[in-house]
Amino acid sequence: MEKFLQTLIDALAVGSLYALIALGYTMVYGILKFINFAHSDVFVLGAWISFLVAVAAGWGDHVSAGDPGRTWILWVLWAATAAAAVSAAAEFGAWKRRHPGDPFVLNRTRFAGVLVLVAVWGWAAFGLAKMAGLVKVWGDNGLFSGLLILLCAMTTCGLVGFVLERLAYKPLRKAPRLNVLITAIGVSLLLQNLGQLQEMFGTRPQRMPTLLPTDQPLATIANVKIMPVDVIGAATAIALMFLLDFLVHRTKFGRSMRAVSYNPTTASLMGIPVDRVISVTFVIGAALAAAAGFLYGQKYPGLNQAAAAVWVLLGLKAFVAAVVGGIGNIRGAMLGGILIGLLEFFGAAYVSAAMRDVYVFSLLILVLLVRPSGILGRPMLEKV
Amino acid sequence: MSTLRARAIELKPGLLPATVRSVWPLVAGIGIALTLQFFAKPVIGDFYAKVLLDIGTSIILAVSLTMVNGFTGQFSIGHAAFMMVGGYVSGGIVYYGSLLLFGDVDMAGGLVSSMIEGRDVPLVTRGDALFAVSLVAGGLAAALCGYVVGLPSLRLKGDYLAIVTLGFGEIVRVLIQSQTGDVLYTVEEMKERPFVGIAQMFTTPSDEWVTPIVLSLGGALGFSGLPFYSSLFWVFLGVGITLLVAYRLKESATGRAFLSIREDEIASEAMGVNTTQFKVRAFVIAAFFAGVAGGLFAHSIGVQLNPGELGFLKSFDIIIMVVLGGLGSISGAAIAAAIVTILPELLRNPAPLLKVWPVFAGLAALLLIATVFAAATGRRTRPLIAWLCIVLALLGLGFGARAAAAAGHNLGDYRMILFALALILMMILRPQGLFGVREIWDRSLWRGIAESLRAPAKKGGTSR
Amino acid sequence: MTPTTDAVLAVRSISKSFGGLKAVQDFNLTLPRGSLRGLIGPNGAGKTTVFNLLTGVYRPDAGSVTLAGRNITGLRPFRIADAGLSRTFQNIRLFGELSVLDNVRLGCHVRSQHGVFRSIFRTPYHRGEERAIEASARRLLDVVGLLSRAGEQARNLPYGDQRKLEIARALATEPRVLLLDEPAAGMNSQEKIALRALIQRLRKEFDATILLIEHDMGVVMDICERITVLDYGKTIAEGTPSELQSNPAVIAAYLGAESDCDIDANHAKGGR
Repeated sequence: MEKFLQTLIDALAVGSLYALIALGYTMVYGILKFINFAHSDVFVLGAWISFLVAVAAGWGDHVSAGDPGRTWILWVLWAATAAAAVSAAAEFGAWKRRHPGDPFVLNRTRFAGVLVLVAVWGWAAFGLAKMAGLVKVWGDNGLFSGLLILLCAMTTCGLVGFVLERLAYKPLRKAPRLNVLITAIGVSLLLQNLGQLQEMFGTRPQRMPTLLPTDQPLATIANVKIMPVDVIGAATAIALMFLLDFLVHRTKFGRSMRAVSYNPTTASLMGIPVDRVISVTFVIGAALAAAAGFLYGQKYPGLNQAAAAVWVLLGLKAFVAAVVGGIGNIRGAMLGGILIGLLEFFGAAYVSAAMRDVYVFSLLILVLLVRPSGILGRPMLEKV
Repeated sequence: MSTLRARAIELKPGLLPATVRSVWPLVAGIGIALTLQFFAKPVIGDFYAKVLLDIGTSIILAVSLTMVNGFTGQFSIGHAAFMMVGGYVSGGIVYYGSLLLFGDVDMAGGLVSSMIEGRDVPLVTRGDALFAVSLVAGGLAAALCGYVVGLPSLRLKGDYLAIVTLGFGEIVRVLIQSQTGDVLYTVEEMKERPFVGIAQMFTTPSDEWVTPIVLSLGGALGFSGLPFYSSLFWVFLGVGITLLVAYRLKESATGRAFLSIREDEIASEAMGVNTTQFKVRAFVIAAFFAGVAGGLFAHSIGVQLNPGELGFLKSFDIIIMVVLGGLGSISGAAIAAAIVTILPELLRNPAPLLKVWPVFAGLAALLLIATVFAAATGRRTRPLIAWLCIVLALLGLGFGARAAAAAGHNLGDYRMILFALALILMMILRPQGLFGVREIWDRSLWRGIAESLRAPAKKGGTSR
Repeated sequence: MTPTTDAVLAVRSISKSFGGLKAVQDFNLTLPRGSLRGLIGPNGAGKTTVFNLLTGVYRPDAGSVTLAGRNITGLRPFRIADAGLSRTFQNIRLFGELSVLDNVRLGCHVRSQHGVFRSIFRTPYHRGEERAIEASARRLLDVVGLLSRAGEQARNLPYGDQRKLEIARALATEPRVLLLDEPAAGMNSQEKIALRALIQRLRKEFDATILLIEHDMGVVMDICERITVLDYGKTIAEGTPSELQSNPAVIAAYLGAESDCDIDANHAKGGR
């Protein structure tokens, strides 16, 4: 019973993170019909960015905390975010001038604007606190720091997602899917190996500072401690998923997203800015992956860029989740993520821990053979 | 109209000339392999002999993957798994076979298997025979896996197939990592323990397994202690056979069926090609050669067979070679495999490349003159500029590597970044790869250059 | 089935619907050996769906297809090609990267003994077969007038030549019945005349039985012995060209129930 409960908690906690990553895969697949292999690497990047931010904010007792070889990344990213914010603000202003008196509906421009504003807020708060030597003031509050770190990681990875899409995938919009797939593999290798550079994250294993107490369980049920990290991680993941679900199904932007996924050509004829929709999709996907990277790092703090393949494998499992749930289907990805989490953890706990990856990939093969459209995937129905 | 069969019999050549024409390339291949083993090795030295060895293995891998990804247009990204299966089967046979036959696992090969000078052994020994048998067995085991995986999964298309092959590769890796014992037996233990068959695995609970000998292959620690049988002779014999088979398949009814699937599956099926069957065939043949390459890899000097290193990143390495060379081009894959394998060495120590830099510079100058000439007279400049860029890039890499070396860096450490960039750029600028589906000796490949020098550009002429 | 012994293709009331759309309903067809049948109808009438049903791209929901006495209903496309039904495609589906010659050689695939080991070892029979394939492919290219371009990549051919190459490739499978899907589409008037001559020649030299979808009424009315007219998936008329030209149902289908105009003239005006 104890074992069962513990496994269930772990499965749900990690499963919701799988779901979060799976969303990025499924959205990109829904729109561009290719597996964005680099998505797993964005997930890894998210973990590293949050590590850097957390260390810079004074968390953890790290040898590398003051390593000048790494903090420059933060400053560059900060500058880039600022630049993006300025340009987005300019665009927002321009839009406002063109459409005076328009009621506020969450559309593409505004969504981007909100995202960037949130980012600026996070970065500015972090930077000011850092410069004023106030880090400790909010640094002691794990939840607050965690929120800031989450925002930093999400926005920077969102930016990375944007840049990747523009540079690597956009030139291939008309190319065969196979070529895009190969490019994605190339981007994945690029991110992995850039990360291994000494000037980036290096090859030394690091430990993600844990922001939440590891010795005070929130509750104890039948001798099983329910840790804050599990609850907060899962809650954050679920909140983000609800946000996305709302965005896709209830907003004008979501409608254009679904239109593009249904048929890009027709969507563009209907006046939907397809390229921008795709860009934003990438940004959202990357941001969600980054969030998952941060949350996963909170639960399993070992970071090791040289063994990035291990983390990339996590991302690939999330892809399996997307396929199992029905690729292109947002709710399917969530369901698939939880399912994969359950399968992996119960398999590991009750059959053989070493074979955990085998279950997941066997399920993938099984699903593809029996029902390639996945559990919730219904061909020709709503797809994103 | 007489039937095709009747006409074929009518046009059939005699047995003797046909046999001679079928066999001579193989004889030539053996000759080249022997030449490399006995004459080239002393000249180029041990270090470059080892590099050459790695190149050979890479060529086999790349050309075998070309048969799936290039010929039939299916996208497999689990090729390293077949290599792993072949390597472990071959390694297991050699390791335990040596224990049984010779009482130890020392290298028992003759001169053909020797990468070390001056060993006083006969040309061919029983050890060589064991190794050859193990290679074939490894290939067959991999082919069997290819069949088992291919039959169901080749119904899937494009990236679904890709992800299934990747999943399969991971499954194989995990199985080898976790389900094979990591303690290798000694000859005494071999005699004590009865040979435990696979069947008993299912009837005995897993924690009570007396680790069967067949499954004691090093586990997560890797399969160490394999004798170094892979010599230039074996590797380049393998290269020769792989190239020959790939070429003959491509230039025959089978190859046309493969390529037609890649070009248009629906039309191919409408023309009577059993597309599933041919996809499985390509998959099985490719798996066979990947298995052989795995066996050669397992017995190479300086290699320890380790499942952790044969995951999907290794598959990606092979994909890089195939894609850069041109999906469908045998010679392209082989050349790309050679370049990708040797580039880290050249970047680490660019001296050999820089020794011939005037040649490259001269080539660049010639190309530059030709480009200017073509541009001035209104001919097509694009192919010339492309080649100029390639030569300049090589030259730049050489000098860049030297500069980096002078500054205490090793540009070879950045090779994966270079390859990744090359992959992305290739997809954007020349998605069909260096040679496309054509071979280096196809004249149409070079027509671009010839045209730029000969005829003025036609309006609306085909680019690339 | 119809007891006519020389009916090489007999289609008995096949139907196919996609969701709620009844693409083809109760389609019947009997092709005597050596005949040339036209299949016409407005856009979306289900002509190409009929081809797809016959060649196994889709499985019919009901009905049967019999080719030379053998039931081929619902077989996979390559089996149907093997049984002797070959087609061209409306939206050209050549193997673009392959040479013109290789496209036709691939058509011979279904009649050859393509073993992997034969290919690898190049047995004498294999060599003989390759020669025979090349010879017959060259002959077919000669028939359609593309022999001089045998070495070029198929995708570099002009549009009209690509259609001819599709015909040659289909012929290479040595079909009992040849299905041509709009062979004249995109051809200029000169090419159309040549195409007419080519089809006549195929009938004479290859004893081909042909089912032809065509929008160009000039071609259809000129060369087909009998014509079947489809509209909204249903067969609305069948008969000789002259019968159909005065058939009110056909005219209504093409023009919307207007006056009795000449199909030929009007179609030439409004057609492609």
